[in-house]
Amino acid sequence: MPTERPAVQPTPATPGATDRADRVRAWYRDHGAAVYNYVRYHVASPDAAEDLTAETFLRALQAADRFDPATRGERPWLITIARNLLRDHRRRARVRQYVNLHALRDLASHAPSPEERLLYEEEAGRALDALAGLDAADREIVSLRYASGLSGPEIAALLGISEANARVRLWRAMARLRTALGEIR
Amino acid sequence: MSDDFWATPPEEARDLDRLFRGLEFRPRESLEPELTGRSRTSGEPDPAPRRRWMTPLAAACVLGAAAVAGWYERRVTTVDWCCGDLDGGGIADDGIVVMARRDESIRRLALYEDRDRSRSLSAADIVRFERGAAIALAGNPPPQSVTLRHCCADYDGGGPPDDGILVVGVPPDTVLMVGLYERRKEAPESQALLR
Repeated sequence: MPTERPAVQPTPATPGATDRADRVRAWYRDHGAAVYNYVRYHVASPDAAEDLTAETFLRALQAADRFDPATRGERPWLITIARNLLRDHRRRARVRQYVNLHALRDLASHAPSPEERLLYEEEAGRALDALAGLDAADREIVSLRYASGLSGPEIAALLGISEANARVRLWRAMARLRTALGEIR
Repeated sequence: MSDDFWATPPEEARDLDRLFRGLEFRPRESLEPELTGRSRTSGEPDPAPRRRWMTPLAAACVLGAAAVAGWYERRVTTVDWCCGDLDGGGIADDGIVVMARRDESIRRLALYEDRDRSRSLSAADIVRFERGAAIALAGNPPPQSVTLRHCCADYDGGGPPDDGILVVGVPPDTVLMVGLYERRKEAPESQALLR
């Protein structure tokens, strides 16, 4: 996942269909991978993640007039929309979603051999399964840290906590995750 | 993403930190064109958020308008029409005052002779006939009585000039009964409802 975020100029508000499409395309190219990865940490299937990602950008388009680039960046805004959609998604699902390895078809891998890729998928699958077993706050801080592409201060601002508190939360969540992984193994 | 912010992870979290930092999911390639296509049809901007006070205000406006409309419909209007030869006397000096609700029953009706040529009912005029809501002919009309029709004008304030007057009297100056009727296209004048 890219760690450097390109500077993005806010797109001016325009009403036409072509302009809307251009705006969504620009947003998606700049932030699509981050939104998808963030969502993907919370849902078990690539299909659900794709639906939620698409819905995030369409919602953003509908709310574009209310977005003020002077007060926040585009990515924190989009991640906030995705968070709200995930909340609704979980409310509807009401079930814990276990990750199975077949659901990792969208996992990027640089493993040099099929065997190593398989091992990597198993390891990632276990980690995500353990993550799915944590409470919502732990999942949130882990996914924001590793998948959203947001900076530390942006994450702290999004969660409404101090930066120091964000750090403490993350490492505590990771400790619980490690414990959960030990139980899975 | 600044790694400095998170500092060095605790020893027990380093392997997981490494794993998650390398974890990357890739959405299918077709998601971007699909999303772009959907945005053309379903990405209409939301209407401006409605202010909280707008709803009660709008409701109050609707209720107010309905009340005004109801009052307008129920209000009693008075029409003073002048002048014409309503009683058959040969001189167009008669006027009629009608108090009625719009297109409804008549509250009061008076036929007068505009003596002072003021073209409205005044103290100098002679009221030839007066009645309330009920329309009735007192007793049998004398053999020389005549029935006169005058059509059409807006005598009751209903709006369109579709009202006719039916006057039973003995010319030149005796009026026994005055009624209003509404002329309708679908019915002959003789079948109009007198009120």
